[in-house]
Amino acid sequence: MNDIVKIGSRLAIICAVAAVVLGLANAVTEPKITIMKKMKLEKSLEQVSKGMKIGKFTPVKDSPVVKGYYPLTDKADKRSGYICKLTGNGYGGDLDIIAGISVKGKILAVILLEDDETPGLGKQAEHASYMTKYIGTGEDKPVPVRKTQLSQKDADAVTGASITFMGIGKALAAGSSYVKKLGGE
Amino acid sequence: MLKEFTKGIFKENPIFVIVLGLCPVLAVSTKVINAIGMSAGVIFVLLGSNIFVSMLKNYIPDKVRIPAYIVIIASFVTIVQMVMEAYAPSLYKSLGVYVPLIVVNCIILGRAEAFAKKNTIKASILDALGMGIGFTLALLLISLIREVLGAGTITIFPIGSFSGVIKIPVLVDEPIRVFGLSAGALLVIGFLKAFFNWYSEFKGARS
Amino acid sequence: MTYIGIIITFVFINNFILNQFLGLCPFIGVSKNIESAVGMGFAVTFVMAIASLTTWVVYTWILVPLNITFLQTITFILVIAALVQFVEMVIQNISPALYKALGIYLPLITTNCAVLGIAFISVQKRYNALESFVAGFAAGLGFLLAILLMSAIRTKLDFEWIPKPFRGIPIAFVTGGLMALAFMAFDKALLTNLIG
Repeated sequence: MNDIVKIGSRLAIICAVAAVVLGLANAVTEPKITIMKKMKLEKSLEQVSKGMKIGKFTPVKDSPVVKGYYPLTDKADKRSGYICKLTGNGYGGDLDIIAGISVKGKILAVILLEDDETPGLGKQAEHASYMTKYIGTGEDKPVPVRKTQLSQKDADAVTGASITFMGIGKALAAGSSYVKKLGGE
Repeated sequence: MLKEFTKGIFKENPIFVIVLGLCPVLAVSTKVINAIGMSAGVIFVLLGSNIFVSMLKNYIPDKVRIPAYIVIIASFVTIVQMVMEAYAPSLYKSLGVYVPLIVVNCIILGRAEAFAKKNTIKASILDALGMGIGFTLALLLISLIREVLGAGTITIFPIGSFSGVIKIPVLVDEPIRVFGLSAGALLVIGFLKAFFNWYSEFKGARS
Repeated sequence: MTYIGIIITFVFINNFILNQFLGLCPFIGVSKNIESAVGMGFAVTFVMAIASLTTWVVYTWILVPLNITFLQTITFILVIAALVQFVEMVIQNISPALYKALGIYLPLITTNCAVLGIAFISVQKRYNALESFVAGFAAGLGFLLAILLMSAIRTKLDFEWIPKPFRGIPIAFVTGGLMALAFMAFDKALLTNLIG
């Protein structure tokens, strides 16, 4: 009996020491992580806002794709677009996207925040240059969601990762039509 | 003393000779930078757990030694997770679930059980460093092969104006993509292991 | 995602061994004959399903309310270790026959990264309780499928001439690589076509 108490208490002491040490380490690193995350989000928003003023975040509940938006206003304080938080279906899981979209539904800028795609294939979507094929679409011509809507060069580039390409395209198309509904107000 | 250090690098290389702790090796070896980050994490945990297991060897009751080792290892892994998330978030993101999985990396528990619990602290440190470097070299080799052939690049740290990505001519335009995929990882390690088998036999036959 | 979607994803598309390299050690080590491969496969499936659910409960009901999610790694591995011990005791008492078949594989499962892996992945993907359980079960089935196929191939390989340096572990890796190539035929498009 005594033995069990001794063994148990020693194991408990090791666990307690471990938990305390980790608590301390967490206290040091957690604020830093929070700040980094906030900075990263702010930097991404800044990039897709195209120099316009970013308003307050409004969550959206009635759409499977659009999770929320920040209104954008130009220098004259006129509503000229939105930054949408979008969720698309990728190859490896959800794609978290933020996109700057004009009130007429034109895609201005896109950043892929989170993904689980295959390195070397779908992961390429993390590079800024990947998004050029979507930018400028949504108003006059539709957002590309199929390879046949792309130039030969762009179509070759997405070969082997068409699910990622279609996932981002569909999310952006949904964002674009959602913004068109919201309109200039 | 020196033998404790060098044995992990060649004679008892954890990856190629003992074949332990493979999941992270194959999963994160798509880029050289990931391999470097993972190795740093593993060396830190291995060093920490070997030191503490060796230090506490008379305190930890034999019956519950495995849970006690696991607690020690998991603590160091959590510290690695926190530090990596705070100071190298993009690396932390690309290593993903494989960082916490260092806990069940058989190399670490294996060294605690096979070496640290019956040796001095000094010997355990050397053992951990040797094994860690052996692991690092193996991981670097695999990631070099996979990134060069599979993506045509070598990604390391960005320094100053250098972006951190070295592009290999020809291969960067027409990479052999299969090396970047999971199938490529298994094939590469299979052929490397066969090469090491052949080499050790060749050396044995000569001496 | 529907439950069928989760099952197809974890059995075929994101097969734990062939796509994520989780549980590779037993995949190479215990696949020399079909009998032990089946034993290991069932033991892992069983433990993974329960572990995925248990760690979900611990995470959602204990770690999150107490705001100590930073202890996730240490808690999960201890919960899994305790769970494996418990399962071993229960099986030993209830069904000695089953214990005889699975018993020797159970202690090995604690350090199988597939079990800890599914616990992290379920939390990361923000599954609910039932989804976690289904994901654990399906990932275990994927493991069973891969190790069963592997052991069947290796039994055949015993009768083939293999270059000497490749015998044993290297040829097992090469076989695994070719299996992974074959499994690439299952991709997300399959899921989209099947269940939309």
